[in-house]
Amino acid sequence: MKKFILILSVCLLVMSAHSQDISQLTAQCAANAGDVMYLKDFVVKLDQGTPGGAPPTARFALLLSKNVVYRFSICTAPNSTGEAILQLFDGSTMIGSTFIASTGKEFPFFDFKCQKSAVYHVFISFKEGKAGEGVGIMSYVKKL
Amino acid sequence: MPKVFVYLLITLAIAASCKSGGQDKNATLEIPDSVLNQGIEISEEVMQDIVQNISSPVEMAALIKDLGVPYSNKYISPTDRVGNLTTSYQQALNLGIYAADLGYLNMYNKTTAVIDYLTSIKTLSDEIKVGQFFDFTTLKRLATNSKNLDSLMYISVHSFNEMDKYLHSNNRTNLSTLIVTGVWIEGLYLGTQVYKLSPDKQLAERIGEQKLTLDQLVLVLEKYKKDKQYERLLNELLVIKELFRPVVIRYEKGEPEMVEENGMLTIVQHDKSIIDMTPEQLTSIINATEQVRNRLISL
Repeated sequence: MKKFILILSVCLLVMSAHSQDISQLTAQCAANAGDVMYLKDFVVKLDQGTPGGAPPTARFALLLSKNVVYRFSICTAPNSTGEAILQLFDGSTMIGSTFIASTGKEFPFFDFKCQKSAVYHVFISFKEGKAGEGVGIMSYVKKL
Repeated sequence: MPKVFVYLLITLAIAASCKSGGQDKNATLEIPDSVLNQGIEISEEVMQDIVQNISSPVEMAALIKDLGVPYSNKYISPTDRVGNLTTSYQQALNLGIYAADLGYLNMYNKTTAVIDYLTSIKTLSDEIKVGQFFDFTTLKRLATNSKNLDSLMYISVHSFNEMDKYLHSNNRTNLSTLIVTGVWIEGLYLGTQVYKLSPDKQLAERIGEQKLTLDQLVLVLEKYKKDKQYERLLNELLVIKELFRPVVIRYEKGEPEMVEENGMLTIVQHDKSIIDMTPEQLTSIINATEQVRNRLISL
């Protein structure tokens, strides 16, 4: 019984610490986004993908408004194997990404000058389908 | 026997904490059977997607402030009626209304009023057992200093987001739907009232595009319509929806452009949405929104 309680206590401490870590990562990521206004966060925890398969991806729907500049930031948790990538999709078309595969360039965030009020999707995955935890942040920059 | 009882208590406490990540999120709430026993027309995942789609309560306020419209307390809902809100339905709906008002007050840095609204939000969120997501001591401390606006905005918006995630993951989407409906109607009320005094093309467009959100809200509320209160709310939104019906949202195609400047990446969208709405249509939406919102705050 004592062992059982010990295991449960460890579980409690680990989960509590994990929850705090993610909370801190979210706050830090929002602060790193610059002089903008935080709107939403997208917390993800993904397992490693299977060899040759598509990388595990988390998807979030969001409504964006015309004439607004939004900022999409991504942060990877320190204990992650992979590096998080945030992509913005309009339907099946990718319109923005924090990682440009053709040049290999990475960006901690990108701004999106929205001209079309519609439902968009944020996809978060980890490079090469590796496992990891991360958080994406959507912020309001200004009106156009 | 007492030892076993102590073990049992400790185990239950730990199990509850493990599930909730250390916070007291295991609270229960009475939900009417008529709400719970509905046939599911749309999945929880879709429901969550839809509710996430509703734009943030601060976006309408941000637009109004960016347009240079001065602050007015005429647009926000008074807090002196919080004690009269006794059912979880009333409390959740008004929590959303006050959340939208809080966004507006924060935007204009009205720290004294912010504390008043935070107190009301605390009362209502405690009533529906989600008060644990709001660190009111920190929020009130931040609200007393205008230099803390960024932190205040972050913590208050983040707390609402966390509360919403919790409600979804604990099968209390009905309350989340009410909160979101409250946020939405108050945001629309704010936008339409400001438009009456300070007409602006961008604001009119923002009002017109609410057709997209309303369609989704109606879809979610349909799920709970066997409950009389939800049904009444749905019917009121359907009146507004009918007024939005002739509003046309059309799209022009264009290729997005990627611009990199000083190491920063910007995506410029060349797709365009255009709102076709006559002044008469807008006026009827403004009037109907005022009626519905004023009834909701008189509950």
